[in-house]
Amino acid sequence: MDCCGGTDEHEDDCTEVTVKEGIDAKTVEAAKALESENYSAGFSTAIDMEFSPKGLSEDTIRFISAKKEEPEWLLDWRLAAYRRWLTMEEPTWAKVRYEPIDYQAYYYYAAPKSGAKYESIDDVPKEILETYEKLGIPLREAEVLLGVEGAAETAAAAREAPRVAVDAVFDSVSVATTFRKELEKAGVIFMSISEAVREHPELVKKYLGTVVPQSDNFFATLNSAVFSDGTFVYVPKGVRCPMELSTYFRMNAENTGQFERTLIVCDEGAYVSYLEGCTAPMRDENQLHAAVVELVALDDAEIKYSTVQNWWPGDEDGKGGIYNFVTKRGDCRGARSKISWTQVETGSAVTWKYPSCILRGDDSVGEFYSIAVTNGRQQADTGTKMIHLGKRTKSRIISKGISAGKSDNTYRGLVSINKRAEKARNFTQCDSLLIGGRCGAHTVPYVENRRADAQLEHEATTTKLSEDQLFYARQRGLGEEQAVALLVNGFVREVLQELPMEFAVEAQKLLEVSLEGSVG
Amino acid sequence: MSTALRDLIANPNAAELELIARYGMLPEDARRERAFEAFAKGGLPHRRVEGWHWSDFKASLPVIETPAQPGTAQDPLPADDAVLFSFTPTGFTWAESLPEGIRVLAKPEAQAFGASEDMPLGALAAALAGGKTKPGTLMIEVTGQDLPRLHFRFSGAGEANFARVQIIVRPGAKLAVSESYLGGAGFTASLMEFSLQAGAECSRTVYQRTGKAEVLAATAAVQLDEGADYRQTTLAFGGKLTRLETRLTHQETGAKATLNAAYLCADGHHADITTEVRHGAPSCVTRQLTKGAVLDGGRGVYQGKFFVPRNVGQKTDADMQHNALLLEEGAEVFAKPELEIYADNVECAHGNTSGALDANQMFYMRQRGIAEEEARALLTEAFIAEALEEAGELEDVLRVQARAWLAR
Amino acid sequence: MLKIENLTATVGEAEEAKQIINGLTLEVPAGEVHAIMGPNGAGKSTLSYVLTGRSGYEVTGGSVTLNGEDILSMEPEERAAKGMFLSFQYPVEIPGVPVMTFVRTAMNSQRKLRGEDEISAPDFIKKSREIAKQLKLDAEMLKRPVNVGFSGGEKKRLEIYQMMMLEPNFLILDETDSGLDIDALKTVAEGVNAMRSPERGMLVITHYQRLLDYIKPDKVHVLSAGRIIKTGGADLAHRLEAEGYEGVVGEAV
Repeated sequence: MDCCGGTDEHEDDCTEVTVKEGIDAKTVEAAKALESENYSAGFSTAIDMEFSPKGLSEDTIRFISAKKEEPEWLLDWRLAAYRRWLTMEEPTWAKVRYEPIDYQAYYYYAAPKSGAKYESIDDVPKEILETYEKLGIPLREAEVLLGVEGAAETAAAAREAPRVAVDAVFDSVSVATTFRKELEKAGVIFMSISEAVREHPELVKKYLGTVVPQSDNFFATLNSAVFSDGTFVYVPKGVRCPMELSTYFRMNAENTGQFERTLIVCDEGAYVSYLEGCTAPMRDENQLHAAVVELVALDDAEIKYSTVQNWWPGDEDGKGGIYNFVTKRGDCRGARSKISWTQVETGSAVTWKYPSCILRGDDSVGEFYSIAVTNGRQQADTGTKMIHLGKRTKSRIISKGISAGKSDNTYRGLVSINKRAEKARNFTQCDSLLIGGRCGAHTVPYVENRRADAQLEHEATTTKLSEDQLFYARQRGLGEEQAVALLVNGFVREVLQELPMEFAVEAQKLLEVSLEGSVG
Repeated sequence: MSTALRDLIANPNAAELELIARYGMLPEDARRERAFEAFAKGGLPHRRVEGWHWSDFKASLPVIETPAQPGTAQDPLPADDAVLFSFTPTGFTWAESLPEGIRVLAKPEAQAFGASEDMPLGALAAALAGGKTKPGTLMIEVTGQDLPRLHFRFSGAGEANFARVQIIVRPGAKLAVSESYLGGAGFTASLMEFSLQAGAECSRTVYQRTGKAEVLAATAAVQLDEGADYRQTTLAFGGKLTRLETRLTHQETGAKATLNAAYLCADGHHADITTEVRHGAPSCVTRQLTKGAVLDGGRGVYQGKFFVPRNVGQKTDADMQHNALLLEEGAEVFAKPELEIYADNVECAHGNTSGALDANQMFYMRQRGIAEEEARALLTEAFIAEALEEAGELEDVLRVQARAWLAR
Repeated sequence: MLKIENLTATVGEAEEAKQIINGLTLEVPAGEVHAIMGPNGAGKSTLSYVLTGRSGYEVTGGSVTLNGEDILSMEPEERAAKGMFLSFQYPVEIPGVPVMTFVRTAMNSQRKLRGEDEISAPDFIKKSREIAKQLKLDAEMLKRPVNVGFSGGEKKRLEIYQMMMLEPNFLILDETDSGLDIDALKTVAEGVNAMRSPERGMLVITHYQRLLDYIKPDKVHVLSAGRIIKTGGADLAHRLEAEGYEGVVGEAV
């Protein structure tokens, strides 16, 4: 598997090895003995790529904007963000340490050479489709629908039955959006944000940057300047989106930053469930991922946003891996609206991520369910902010952190009750589990209450995996790692239950893989 | 003032300039200098510094001046049977006849203060304690067991009151200490250091009640050796800004610490209870209970942290609870109960609640005929009293004070 | 004594409010014990809270009078001072407040509201001792915080202790038999029976007929969907036990 961490020229070897693994189960077992090889998504795809000039400047931004044939207003918006970014400092308050990032060493745009736009799925380069197949993403909707031979093996088993519309982002470009027609019938707009800028400029203009403003924070501002692609979803009034929507992000090219931007708007009374998955090939150097996700829920709307993040975490010595600096925020703008974040974070070398809810509408509800697993030398600083502004707003936070290896795992959260947030409610539970004596688990909750009629409860525990339980399971014949996986599954159960079914199975597998080699 | 001194703090406000001036007037002393530099590095801590976000000393202390209406609270803690040490802005008195088992040294110079970087206002107290009428460091060594309580009183009108006390409790010795912060000075900063040696026991009671104009930073640094037992109970009413900070280190096996506090904040009062406990040795126990009740215009701040280092912190058993009542709209309670843990064989938990009184309890009491106001007072007192239960002979005194405040 | 006429009430706030009591009419004359029986969700506990004035339960129509006085406009403690006592299905724990302090405060508050003098400390203690003895309550228990760490049976006995101490003139027993073993049930019932008098009315709310073997009702009412749908004598309780609610309710509809 070594070749997979290298350059693109070896892609033939790489495919061969992958195929062999598929055939020979014993080879797989043997390979698993090596920790870094646990990352099954760590292959790269060899295709001709087109890059922006290396580094960041106004020219880079003009290049990106021109490539995407963007209107003037968006270029101006990007440039304003860039100028602002130049005056900002990288935040240092999170409990993560990493070498200073050289922002000039990255490519801010990388696209498969055959062109950034695909008229139909048949125009998408074969290699990219194969990549997604390897990842188990059912991009070819027809195959999945008709059950064409091979589709069942490549698509994750659990994802076969329910239908999921997928937008796949390959480095900077959205390569395919499936189920477009059917969604259009329901009035749901689901396309890459580049397309949306062209086809629905009024909607994009109305909502872009209204939840995460350009000036929000260092990484969000950087994203505003250079965002390459991402997904746009609009669910019109009263429509319950007929299927789960999903985006897969894949970082492939070397030295490339990925800066996708997602905007989901649920109009009055609408509902959507959205799944996001991420992978990247194994690279020795660190890759930068600075995404922005904005959610807007109007009156009585509900958005359920689930993430399984499995970016390359680096090898066991902490070499390589993704820097995942993401700003995700939902705005419960309307009365009785609801936004629910569920995340399973197992990847990335460094994670800096706080999916948040602004509970503006009266009776709106925010939820955050999180499983964060760190192993090896991973560092995760993640949590949520629940900002209660409206009356009778409710929030619920369930966070399960699991630290193994030499990793550090921090829950950082804010619950803020504004003076006007009559009868607000929050319940928070943060549990941390330590596996082994070289990792760290930290809990940093900030609770600000300005209402006497608010009711806030926070509970947290930090424990190790129970020796008694482990022994009990092993006495009944489970292997040590199996026993750990079983107990960890119990520990995170509450959160797994919140995941859409097709994601839950994958998440569970991911947990097992992430924790391999953590005991003994 | 020389430019060199003036430059010690970046963009100083009038209060910081005054502190620099006071420092300049004290005799030169390398340890004092180090302590002052530790303070000067950041100056008066402000909201952009982690740990001071909700308690901004720079904003609350623009100048150092005698309050127009200095607090004149009577000291409710009895001193008749205690050994009294009294610090005022201009002087220091103490009963120089001491029972056997207690030795006191009033040293003019400063002593080294190790963790000064983490406790800027403790470092400030260490740097500015002393002068013609006050000791630079008051050192107390305790060897006996059945000793009278040591009582420290901080009071008297004036601009500023600084004090530093080091207490060493020798192996197996037992001591009770109490402190009353009664205000009077525009700014009071104290540094109390406790070193409990093997098997030593110490109970500390802190009572704080100042006027609305006073700013106070009372810092305690506590170190526990093998099997030492430390119990602390605080009752704070806040002031313009008051911070009662305790940094405790379990440095040998089997030590036990109880850190309880209650705060009651009326309009214009801000009370900050901050603690950090470092489990620097295996099998140590920490129990922490903080209760607060706040009225319209008051602000309560609670910051607690358990830090458990790798290897040495194994078998830590630590529990932290903070429960606050916002008795009226307009009250504010900000809390940050934090865990930083690097050892796997530990049991650590924390809980945090804030809100109104339990509606079920209120209805139950009213159904039995107790009027709403009375039910509220009874429930609140019971709620607060739980945090005062470890105060030994002083529990009743504290409880009476809390009750009187609730009945006002 | 207690007269409920065409009462309607909702639970929950604003848009989430649900109507639970739907035009309930009932009269309990002084000296009588009436039982209210009904399946789960019939509105039994809601009725007890509406009568005693718990917030979150809103009366939307009808009237309730106690000895001719409108009680619906009164605060919970005013109703208590008028003699309304609710024995809770789930007595509430109050940490930090000892039973004796609690009951004495309640007694004196009620007296104050009625314009009476406070009870003297020796009189109070004497009375408490007598009642505790009758109910087989340990004196130590009365020094502990209200209901904290008490078993289910102890909590119910403590409710009866409070009832006997406060001497209310109208009692509502909400599922007092739940969670009691047979001995505890007998003790509790003896306490309640000792309270029966020509001046006093009682409403016994229960799901099962068991309690009514020990506290004999003058009348039994069946509550369903927030209304009284059948009224009969003590034998009705036995019929309910034998035939189940469905049979009896079905017959009435």
